[in-house]
Amino acid sequence: MNAASQNHAARLREISRLIDDRPSERIFEVDRRIFTDPDVFDAELRHIFEATWNFIGLESQVARPNDFVTTHIGRHPILVMRSADGKVGAFLNTCRHRGTIVCPFKQGRQKFHVCRYHGWAYDSSGRNISVTEEASGQYPPSFSNQNHDLLPVARLGSYRGFMFASLSADVPPLEEFLGDTRAFLDLIIDQSDSGQVEFVPGASTYTFDANWKLQFENGLDYYHFATTHSSYVDILKKRNANAGPDAGFTVEPEGEQEGQGSFSFDYGHAVNWSIKRTQLYGRPLGMDPARLDAVRQRVGSTRAKWMLRQRNLTIFPNLQVIDILSAQVRTWRPLAPDKTEMVSHCLAPVGESAAARTLRIRNYEDFFNASGLASSDDNVMYEFCQTGYEATSAAPTQGYLRGVADVGHGESAHSRELGITASEWSFGPTSFGGETNFHPGYREWRRLLQHAAGEPA
Amino acid sequence: MMAASAIEQADAHAIAAAIIFREARLLDTGEWTDWVAMYSEDAVYWVPGWLDEYTTTSDPKTQVSLLYHDARRGLEERIARIESRKSITALPLPRTVHQISNLEASESAPGEITCHSVFSVHVYDPRVAKEHLRHGRYAHTLRRDGDIWKITRKVITLVNDRVPTVLDFYSI
Repeated sequence: MNAASQNHAARLREISRLIDDRPSERIFEVDRRIFTDPDVFDAELRHIFEATWNFIGLESQVARPNDFVTTHIGRHPILVMRSADGKVGAFLNTCRHRGTIVCPFKQGRQKFHVCRYHGWAYDSSGRNISVTEEASGQYPPSFSNQNHDLLPVARLGSYRGFMFASLSADVPPLEEFLGDTRAFLDLIIDQSDSGQVEFVPGASTYTFDANWKLQFENGLDYYHFATTHSSYVDILKKRNANAGPDAGFTVEPEGEQEGQGSFSFDYGHAVNWSIKRTQLYGRPLGMDPARLDAVRQRVGSTRAKWMLRQRNLTIFPNLQVIDILSAQVRTWRPLAPDKTEMVSHCLAPVGESAAARTLRIRNYEDFFNASGLASSDDNVMYEFCQTGYEATSAAPTQGYLRGVADVGHGESAHSRELGITASEWSFGPTSFGGETNFHPGYREWRRLLQHAAGEPA
Repeated sequence: MMAASAIEQADAHAIAAAIIFREARLLDTGEWTDWVAMYSEDAVYWVPGWLDEYTTTSDPKTQVSLLYHDARRGLEERIARIESRKSITALPLPRTVHQISNLEASESAPGEITCHSVFSVHVYDPRVAKEHLRHGRYAHTLRRDGDIWKITRKVITLVNDRVPTVLDFYSI
């Protein structure tokens, strides 16, 4: 190890200590600098986003041969393609010749991608099929021995149509990485009779001037809802006073205890959920009683019950899947310590009725994104936090302790119902809003930085 | 005959200009009760999303829009949310200037005017002293309602759709 890499490792160890996690002393503190420091930001891109599994899209986005979609993993532009013979590949979207972005489009279908700069061409399997004027190029013999294909990502995998990729081969198998978060993806996917989900056309992209971890935390935060979204709740209450049966409201079975809970998992993931007698919004699955019955027959009454409960799933480091009044898939791309780009899709089970689909779309527009009546308040709130985090000399914030006194280990009544194993769980009244479900993400954040610094696991 | 239709065309243009410029002023001055009263109760207010680099969504029933309201009620809810002083997006509310030009208008049916225009909305957020510009195209449909004209449909094609932080009726 040379001096520069020793210094880098020492710096990473120093950064990893910005999380103070002492479970036996019931201490969990996050230094404000992790939201503002450019060194921390660079370390996150390189050693977190570019070193672990990231969600890169749905297989149904590239359903047909030669379909493609572009995205990012950390800073790296990524081109996802289905080859002519039907195999999905994910590649660095950069020409082997001079590094030019090979595909500048969001999505489409093309057999070939030709670099606009000097005309090098690739097929939809990533294979180089032309080096322009190679014969007259006076290349040294070593050139023709080199591979000129697009560089594939180190790992590519899919769980029931959710595609994940890693730029590093030093990752656990995807099944192990996802663990029992898969049960929560299943609760959405199995709302479709054919077990397929799709993005409703019309993705939106927005930015906020704050650190990506504000979104990571907020997606797991039920504590903020009543305060931050009080203006939205007022609207919902007025609407709900006149809601008809096609609004999709459903009821919990008799005897269920109301409350809010969470499960934490390995590799940074967590899910929040709530059990409520009075819903604030209907469910697309709830507006069609015949279909709901059919789903219940197929998946059983326990899982059908969970399909109607609000669930906010975070798969670290870049994915949140929400199933409430609609379903949303959102990913973030960190652009700077204080700037984040969000891409948001409306997620839907294939095969729902036209009326349920339209309700899903209206509900999604109502709540989510920079134009929605709830997410827009979150976005501004992140910016308020980012400004506040500039008080770097202040003590760490006190935002990670709700639920710490009663955090659960091993099985719970709810985990047994779902047949899952969580590393930690929490449960409390509907006003609970636990914060222990932020901990797994920060523990994985620290583990990845320590791993990059060469520390044993 | 030609002279008569030329006069009608000028009338349609003058009616459309008066309405669209008034709408812009009311949005910029925050006179939202007067603004929303310019719409019919069954008005459609639609900001399509973008499917790719060139194509906007065309069917709000099967595709996601940036904003879609099929009645004035949706706009009234948005106004109530801002005026409740509970929405953090309005604390403080950005200042805006709507600039509208390239107006074309024609009588598309008896008592109905269809018009196209382009807009730039300068948005300044005093909270963070940042500003941005939203720009795009408007398509208005106006309907005569007794002595006055109401907006029955407004389609806003937002050209720069990577939205910074918040998008609401006042910023487009």
